[in-house]
This record gives sequence, structure tokens and C-alpha cells, in this order.
Amino acid sequence: MSETTAQTEIRSPTDPESPPFLQIRNITKRFGAFVAVDNVSLDIHQGELFCLLGGSGSGKSTLLRMLSGFETPSSGQILIAGKDQAGVPPYKRDTNMMFQSYALFPHMTVEKNIAYGLKREGVPRAEIATRVTDMLSLVKLNGFAARKPNQLSGGQRQRVALARSLIKRPKLLLLDEPLGALDKKLREETQFELIKIQETLGVTFVVVTHDQEEAMTLSTRMGVMADGKLVQVGAPHEIYEYPRSRFVAEFIGSVNIFEGRIEQDGEDHAVIGSPDAGMGIYLSHGITGTLGQEVAVAVRPEKIRIGKSPMEDLPNTTQGTVDEVAYMGNLSVFHVRLETGKIISVSQSNLVRSPEDAITWGDRVTLGWDGAASVVVPS
Amino acid sequence: MTPSSLFLRITAWLGFLFLYAPIASLVIFSFNESKLVTVWGGFSTKWYGALFRDPQILAAGWISLKIGFFSATIAVVIGTLAAYVLSRFSRFRGRTWLSGAIAAPLVMPDVIIGLSLLLLFVAMEHLFGWPQGRGILTIVIAHATFGAAYVAVVAQSRLVGMDLSLEEAAEDLGAHPVRVFFDITLPVIAPALVSGWLLAFTLSLDDLVIASFVTGPGASTLPMVIFSKVRLGVSPDVNALATLVIGIVSIGILVAASNLHRAARDKEDAAPSHRTNEDMS
Ligand SMILES: Nc1ncnc2c1ncn2[C@@H]1O[C@H](COP(=O)(O)OP(=O)(O)O)[C@@H](O)[C@H]1O
Ligand SMILES: [Mg+2]
Repeated sequence: MSETTAQTEIRSPTDPESPPFLQIRNITKRFGAFVAVDNVSLDIHQGELFCLLGGSGSGKSTLLRMLSGFETPSSGQILIAGKDQAGVPPYKRDTNMMFQSYALFPHMTVEKNIAYGLKREGVPRAEIATRVTDMLSLVKLNGFAARKPNQLSGGQRQRVALARSLIKRPKLLLLDEPLGALDKKLREETQFELIKIQETLGVTFVVVTHDQEEAMTLSTRMGVMADGKLVQVGAPHEIYEYPRSRFVAEFIGSVNIFEGRIEQDGEDHAVIGSPDAGMGIYLSHGITGTLGQEVAVAVRPEKIRIGKSPMEDLPNTTQGTVDEVAYMGNLSVFHVRLETGKIISVSQSNLVRSPEDAITWGDRVTLGWDGAASVVVPS
Repeated sequence: MTPSSLFLRITAWLGFLFLYAPIASLVIFSFNESKLVTVWGGFSTKWYGALFRDPQILAAGWISLKIGFFSATIAVVIGTLAAYVLSRFSRFRGRTWLSGAIAAPLVMPDVIIGLSLLLLFVAMEHLFGWPQGRGILTIVIAHATFGAAYVAVVAQSRLVGMDLSLEEAAEDLGAHPVRVFFDITLPVIAPALVSGWLLAFTLSLDDLVIASFVTGPGASTLPMVIFSKVRLGVSPDVNALATLVIGIVSIGILVAASNLHRAARDKEDAAPSHRTNEDMS
């Protein structure tokens, strides 16, 4: 596609000065008494690849269906390019959607499926033909034009669905679990293809997924949904490194949680007394909260060092016994039981093939982490 | 072979014999040379020849085919619309009433349907002057009403099994809902509609009771002619005629059934796909 080649640096942070392309304002959707989407507000800028991440039933699809016009919000407002979408039916919206089930028309060939949107738009036949051919090569399906959907593999169907939803050059593409039906390996390959296509076309993507790794890989920014609420929005590393709630910390990646109370809170440090950890956890930064307040400290497994010798350089150290070792190839995960009975999971990269002093089941070990390794979240 | 499976086989064969022996004997005797129905006088197709020279039978056959064709076609249109409304608009006033009304002709005795339609036609003629008298038109209307019930049942099962996101996808790509119906919904349920049409056609060809109620002078269908001939005694040409009707009806039912079977096999394309991620969280 020629007009899009100019755009190169789309994945860099978007210009916060420009008005958001998609504005979701206090959107709520009720089904009877059940609140499926609860007062969600969200701004998405042109060219973003935004992921909505949440467990099954958290309201992701419902939010997406309100953007495409298939559900009417119970309250709130949706603006696309500044235009209020209230009362605009799906067939008049400038959005396109890729469906979870792909929804390929079974009685049409691949070519007819992809061309359908242009036909309805009244595009001249010659132009349809060239645009469909372009699209087929973009999704690497040349030679499959004459096939029917039931003659395609899962991965090929997925690409037809993507091509069909992109053919009208929508400003906003909504994708509901676009890779959900693919097997793990194919899914990982396709993730990068999806990013590449999004970058070449410069279309704004809103992707719904329940897979946190997928959300991390794909998105420029993501939003975590739970029970219809948008609990945190941010870049993948922000969500991972600075979760603002215990839910987000636990939902994204694995984490060790220590319950405790704020014991000291200074300008440049804080201490959380944790009976769980059997010690005061030292943080190299101040926190917001009152002394004595109950909080939780979240430490990621890869941020904890494990070893057999003492670690004087680290402010937080504790001892335990190795309960379990899981070898995962690139890294090993240790479950270490502290004296308090708390089990901590620690991961370590396997830098050496067969280290001589390898830590194994039953070993007494020291665990340690830095003052900046942990995050304090409301309990 | 164990005794019990032998027993099962014998019962099955007896069952088939019970069902099909009368039909088989009818078919065999339609090729009988002799005029006597009970005596085999050698193979002959002369009764078929006689059939095609009998103007009364030819006229009745033509009428029956016309009635079958038009009533089945009308039944498909009405039945499809009813099924679409019932399966796509979940809540509207009179929904229960409509679904009940659609299913009623399936269980209502033919005599009641025939009688009530006759009374309706008489009343309508009295009030609006239409339909004038009774004949082919009234039979077509009568057959269309109960044919529509069968079409609606067949079409509805296909519509309910269809993935709704197919229709949404078309609308999302810019097609007005009316357009979606013709571009997507109709082609997807088409196999069911073909089956429905054949079913309605066959039922119309087969019907004696309802047609007898609502017919008028000059509109005798094939079943009526057969029935009146038989009352004067069974003659071999009736056997030949019945054999032809059986042939047409069996072909119709076979095509409808294999069509539905094929549709069921293709259905996985149009039905919601099984998601692999439903078991998480
Ligand atoms: N049309 C509907 N009628 C009633 N409840 C619905 C409807 N659509 C979705 N829901 C409910 O809303 C909740 C959120 O659904 P959904 O948005 O599909 O979740 P997700 O896509 O995050 O898995 C679910 O509990 C679901 O049962
Ligand atoms: Mg969903």
C-alpha cells in the first residue's frame, strides 16, 4: 500500500498533545442487572496498538462490540476522530472488526470474502481486484484466492479474516482474540506478523486478548480489565514493573506477595515489616501511605537472587530450603520455603550448561533482593 | 451369529416387510400384463401407456404438479420469513403466539385444517369477493399454509445453528441489514430451504384430505382422481399411477434428506467455532 510507507516510527510513544483518536468516556453496559462494562474511560491515539487484557468474562468483548456498534452503551460516550458514535449503526462506522470466530462467509471464496467490504462500498471492479491482490500478498495468501474457507488451515483462515477486516483501510481496527484459536507456536509467529502489518499500514489497533504474554508482545499500551472495570492502563513494562494493585501484580506474570505494615517511611527509603517474610523489607524509595497501614509487597521471581553464600551487598536477605526445582531450559524456577513457612518462587537464568555448584532440592540457600526490586501495592 | 442378533435381524426384516410389502406388491402388479389385479399374467408396461393416454389423469397430474410447485414456493417464502423473525428477534410482542401458530399445522388433523380453511375461504368470498369460488388457487393457498410450517421448522434449526457473527461481519463491512439477509443469511441457509421446498412439494402432491375440502369444480388433484377410481374397483392403471407418485415422492424425500445431511456436514463453517481459550481463568 503506497500511501502508508511514509509512516515509520509508529511504535514510538504517541504525541500526547494531539487529540486522542478514540475517546471512551464513562462507558457502562448493563445486561439486565448485570454490569458487564463498568464506567470505563480510555483515550487511544492514532497509530497505537492497544491491548485490552483480562480474564474470560471481564467485559473485553462487550467493550469492543460497543466500539463497533453491535452493542449500545447503557451510558457514556464514544468518540472516534472527535465524532460521537451514539446512534451510528455498525454498517456506517469507520471501524472494522476481526471476529473471534473469524466469521468467514462459508459460501464465498477467499477472494470474495476479502472483496466484500469494497463491493458494498461501491468501489469500481478494477480497483477491487488490485486491492484484493495487494491484500492477499500482504497476508501471504497469494494462490489461495479461489479457495473456500473450509479448504484452509486455521492459520490461513485467520489471515483471511485479517485481510477482510483491513481491506476498507479502516482508521480503527478492532480485533477480538485474533490469535486465540491458533496453536502456541503459530500464535507466536503470527504476533510479529500482526505487529508488522500494523506498522506498515499505520492503522490504530485495539486488540482483545486474555493472554498476558500476547498483550506484552503486541501492545504499545495496554489496559487490564477485571469485572468490567479498567483497572490499569500503561505501557507493558509499566504494567509489569509498576502494578498499581495486587490484582494487576498477580495477573501479569508471576509474583511473590508479602503482607505487611508500613514501619518506616522516609524521603529516600521505607521499611515494610512483614511477618510473612520474617523481616522488615527495605525499599530504596519513599512510599505514599501512613505508618502502620497494611500493604502488600510484590517481588518478581527474576528479581530475587539465589545462592549458597551470604549476600552482604543486598539490603534484603533471608534464608530458606529449596522445596522444588523446575528446569525450563532457558531458566530454572526454584520454590524456596522460608522459616516462616512462606514459599517464595525465584527464577534464575541458566547461564552455564551444567554448573558445578548447582542448587538442588533440599539445599539451604540465601535469597536476596535490591531495595528497588519490589513494589508496594494496597493490600 | 448369536441367537439374539438373529432374532433382531428377523424382527427388522419382518418390520420392513410389514411396511413395504404392500408398496412392493403395488409396484410389481403395475407391470402386470393381466387386467386382473390378483393374477400375474406376465411383464408389461401397457398400463403406463394407458395412463399417458388418459386425459383425466394427465390433467389431474398437471394440476397437482402446478399446485405443488406454487404452494411449495409460497411456503418457502413465508416459512423462511417466519423462521428468520423467530430466530433473530428474540423479544417482541406476539412471539409466543407466532411460534405456536407456525407449529400448529404440524399437529392439527388434516380434517380440521381443511374444514377451517374452507370456512375461511367461504367467509372471505362473502366479505371481499375473493377468492372467487374454489379451485386451484384455494388449494395452493391451503397447501402453502401447512407447507410453510414445515419449511419454518427446517429453516429455523439452520438459522439457530448459524454463527451470528457471520451476519455481524457483513454488517461491519458496510452492508445494510436487509442486504446482509440476502448476501449472507439466505445463502447459508439455502440447503435447508431446498429441503423445505421439496418437503412442501411432496406433502402437497400427497395431500387428499385438505385438498378435497377446499377444491372446487374442475380442480381435481391426482390423489382425488386415484381415490375416486379406486372406489370403482382397483384397476392396474391405478397401480401404475401410484407407482409413479411413489417414485416422485421418494426422489423428493431422498434429495431433501441428502441435502440436509450435506448441510449438516458443512455446518461447521457456519457454526460458532469452538474456542480453545474458554477454559482459562
Ligand atoms: N448479550 C448478552 N446478554 C447477557 N449477558 C452478556 C451478553 N454479552 C455478554 N454478557 C456477559 O457479560 C460478561 C462479559 O462478557 P464478554 O465481554 O464477552 O467477556 P470477555 O470477552 O472479557 O470474555 C460475561 O459475564 C457475559 O456473560
Ligand atoms: Mg470475549
